[in-house]
Amino acid sequence: MITLLKNAKVIDPAQGKDGVKEDIYIRDGRIIAKPGDSEKINQTIDLNGKIVMAGAIDMHSHIGGGKVNIARMMLPEYQATRNLTEPEAHICTSSCTHHATPSTTDTGMHYIEMGYTAAFEPAILAINARQAHLEMGDTPMIDKGGYAMLGNDDYFLRLLAGKADQKAINDYVAWTLHATQTIGIKVVNPGGISAFKFNQRRLNLDENNVHYQVTPRQILQSLSRAVNELGIAKPLHVHCNNLGAAGNFQTTLDTMGASDGIPMHLTHIQFHSYGTEGDKKFSSAAAQIAQALNANKHISADVGQILFGQTVTASGDNMMQHLNAKIANPKKSVIMDIECDAGCGVVPFKYRDQNYVNALQWAIGLEIFLSVEDPWRIFLTTDHPNGAPFTSYPHLIRLLMDKSFRNDAFAKLNLDAQAMSNLTSLNREYSLYEIATMTRAAAAKLIGLHDRGHLGIGAAADITVYTEQADKEAMFSKPDYVFKDGELVVKDGKVVKVVWGKTHTTKPAFDIGVEKGLKDYFDQYHTIQLDNFKINNDEIAQDGRNQVVDHFKQSD
Amino acid sequence: MQISNPIKSTHVTCPACGLLCDDISAAKLASGELEITQSDAHRCEKLLKFFKRPSQRSAEVNGKQVSIAEAIAHAAQLIKQHQSPIFSGLSTDLSGFRAAYQLAQRSRAAMVHMNAKSSARNTKVLQSTGWQTTTLTEVKNRADVIVCIGTDVVSHNARFFERAVWTKEAMFTDPSARQIVYLGGENLDTAQGVSPNGVPPKVLACAPQNLPEVTAALRALIQDKPLKADRVGGIALAELAAVVEQLKSAKYAVLVWIAKDLDFPHAELTIQNITESVVALNHHSRAMGLSLGGSDGDTTVNYAHTWLDGLTLTERDENQHDLVVWVNSFSPDKTMPAYAQPVIAIGHPDTVFASPPAVFIPVATPGLDSAGTLFRVDSSVVLPLKPVYESALPTLAEVLAQMEAQLA
Repeated sequence: MITLLKNAKVIDPAQGKDGVKEDIYIRDGRIIAKPGDSEKINQTIDLNGKIVMAGAIDMHSHIGGGKVNIARMMLPEYQATRNLTEPEAHICTSSCTHHATPSTTDTGMHYIEMGYTAAFEPAILAINARQAHLEMGDTPMIDKGGYAMLGNDDYFLRLLAGKADQKAINDYVAWTLHATQTIGIKVVNPGGISAFKFNQRRLNLDENNVHYQVTPRQILQSLSRAVNELGIAKPLHVHCNNLGAAGNFQTTLDTMGASDGIPMHLTHIQFHSYGTEGDKKFSSAAAQIAQALNANKHISADVGQILFGQTVTASGDNMMQHLNAKIANPKKSVIMDIECDAGCGVVPFKYRDQNYVNALQWAIGLEIFLSVEDPWRIFLTTDHPNGAPFTSYPHLIRLLMDKSFRNDAFAKLNLDAQAMSNLTSLNREYSLYEIATMTRAAAAKLIGLHDRGHLGIGAAADITVYTEQADKEAMFSKPDYVFKDGELVVKDGKVVKVVWGKTHTTKPAFDIGVEKGLKDYFDQYHTIQLDNFKINNDEIAQDGRNQVVDHFKQSD
Repeated sequence: MQISNPIKSTHVTCPACGLLCDDISAAKLASGELEITQSDAHRCEKLLKFFKRPSQRSAEVNGKQVSIAEAIAHAAQLIKQHQSPIFSGLSTDLSGFRAAYQLAQRSRAAMVHMNAKSSARNTKVLQSTGWQTTTLTEVKNRADVIVCIGTDVVSHNARFFERAVWTKEAMFTDPSARQIVYLGGENLDTAQGVSPNGVPPKVLACAPQNLPEVTAALRALIQDKPLKADRVGGIALAELAAVVEQLKSAKYAVLVWIAKDLDFPHAELTIQNITESVVALNHHSRAMGLSLGGSDGDTTVNYAHTWLDGLTLTERDENQHDLVVWVNSFSPDKTMPAYAQPVIAIGHPDTVFASPPAVFIPVATPGLDSAGTLFRVDSSVVLPLKPVYESALPTLAEVLAQMEAQLA
């Protein structure tokens, strides 16, 4: 069975193609070279020059696991607020529902309807990985994967405080990737979640966790080195200390230097780019952050753009979320300490365009997008649902691609915030090629998905087809066609076939001897058996509905 | 129990209560019965009862034995013939619930769990103010003051003190020095609150109906609000103030409640007094809430419904529905309520009925004679269940999938 997409206008940054007119052939879920004349073409779709990109990949979106489900449980009112009022209505189209806590079904459906074919849950508590995979397993249409959180778990902190050698750390990191079926490692507020359990309320990069007497910097060095030495593609995913705090940009700049040149990815960097200038002691440090990102080629970042309206913030960072709980809207929140492994904080937020801080957060995110030069190292995220629901991506893309639209939105903001932002002096408009880079090619490269995010021969046939329009929000809201692993699953923005996607993992080799120390630790201090901590492939495969893909490649 | 020829030794996970103990060694005897070989677990009657081999039983239609296929066909007919079914009981594991949810969607049926009334007390607090909570491993390694409010815990979770309190080791505290307080409740079994060194727990008794008042006073004292009273709910205010001092000077205080034991009108307000006491303590020191209990897959079913549907399960008036599909996998002595409507009952083969339902289909029990997956009561931890007996019975998911196929 061969499908031919005729007269495609291909935008494929992985191959350097920017609007190249081509035909694409698909067989058995993969893109193939033009077949011989004798081979039968079963299905031909003439695209008449429509824009064709690989399926988009969301490299950071909270789509499953404990805190997401707590948000759903805590906020039944979100399930009924689809009729938009101001300020959402003037920012969003009807395709932008501000649906911050979608069910697993809605999650998959909304993603594929926007042309996204994969999303990665960036904060899987190792102890909670089974729940995350259960929820992702119930998320249709798209591929899934996740990053396991380390660095606040007592097992790791005991190793570090006990001056364990790097090999022991590496083995534990690799073992965790296997046990949790994940593709990357994340650290959230390094050492801070643990410190909060000992009643510390803030932790700076070079400040000791009072119990372990280790610093966030040491944690970052140890984990980034482990990830690097194991040969995992995805750089350490870092949620810096001091999330959301005025003046935190200095921590962020210092964090860039903490790994001694080893690659790191700083996530939702907008929330970590705040200065203390001005009457309100809250200002944009986007320029300093962007300058540092431009200079430090070993650092990548995603933005975590905020957009106005009601959402909920769900984070592993219970230390900082405990501080944020006092500005919850509506006024409720959940803060948890979890299993000597990590924690979580779920705090609903309403970002308002007439609020000084919120308006400036909006501007700071866009300033970063427009000031970071290399689209291969800056990623389009809203940290769903923390900055805004992922369904607002088409709107965000328009803000990046359309300067007059952006400046019109800016002109409606809180006036004090406008006075503190240089956004209107930034003339850059992202091209389709740059959008395709950050949402496809670069995301796949960052995570290590060799056969996704591009349209080369042999790639998985995850393909999105758009009609080019002046209104980029309309264009990216409703693709003409989406193919998932070669199957036509969306036509005219609506799902026409339900599929279930795969789960992407990486499984580097390690010394199984690591389980001896772990077994002793579990028997002494944990409340489950070590064997029950580990998730096997069959649990995820669910009798064939899902499939585990291991992307680990030996570097030689 | 006679000892004879263990043929297989294994670790099993017990779904009989929300603790999901998975430290249980078991051996299969030649008789086919399972012997629990882990001594501490012997204290748990629920566990010993759960692991008894289920009897063999065929499906029934109106009390007459039929094949399972016939029973499924009859049940599918009933579902087709009725406008507004409700899935009730819902005592099952994750895969059973997923299948039930799918069939309920197909047949436009409502869903309600047998523990809906007590679960709703917690849900109302979660949806009103939220809360600050912890989990068992944190308790085991950190807790130095534990206050059980309106409950002895052990009536629901028999091994709580053994597994999380009087442990041999803890990373950050001396386990044998933990301070235990029981605040309120009647007929409590406080024996397990005695420390290994023989230190008795502090017991501040009051009737359950006084707990709203007592917990309001506790919360006020923690928030440093002056109270003009000598006694509240039968408890001397000075005693309550002493507990508050214990909580404030704790390194990691834990306030435990069990929603099922707070069985009085508007118990959610009492739970909120507890959770807001925790919030107030956390302004200066560290404390966390811990909601225990949990049974019959209630945590699992609530969570899975939430991610599949976007909303939690809630209480329902079953009288508004014209057909009941009663699911009860784990505990055959949970008796089905008397329904006026026709009933399709699916569950444990040892289920006893006051009067025979229209259809009864015996199914395998997760963790007993089929595999399964359950959430522990403190959330976060999800454990696989392994079968310990071979069984010819289908799983709930298999039965419901066959029913669904016949609805087309």
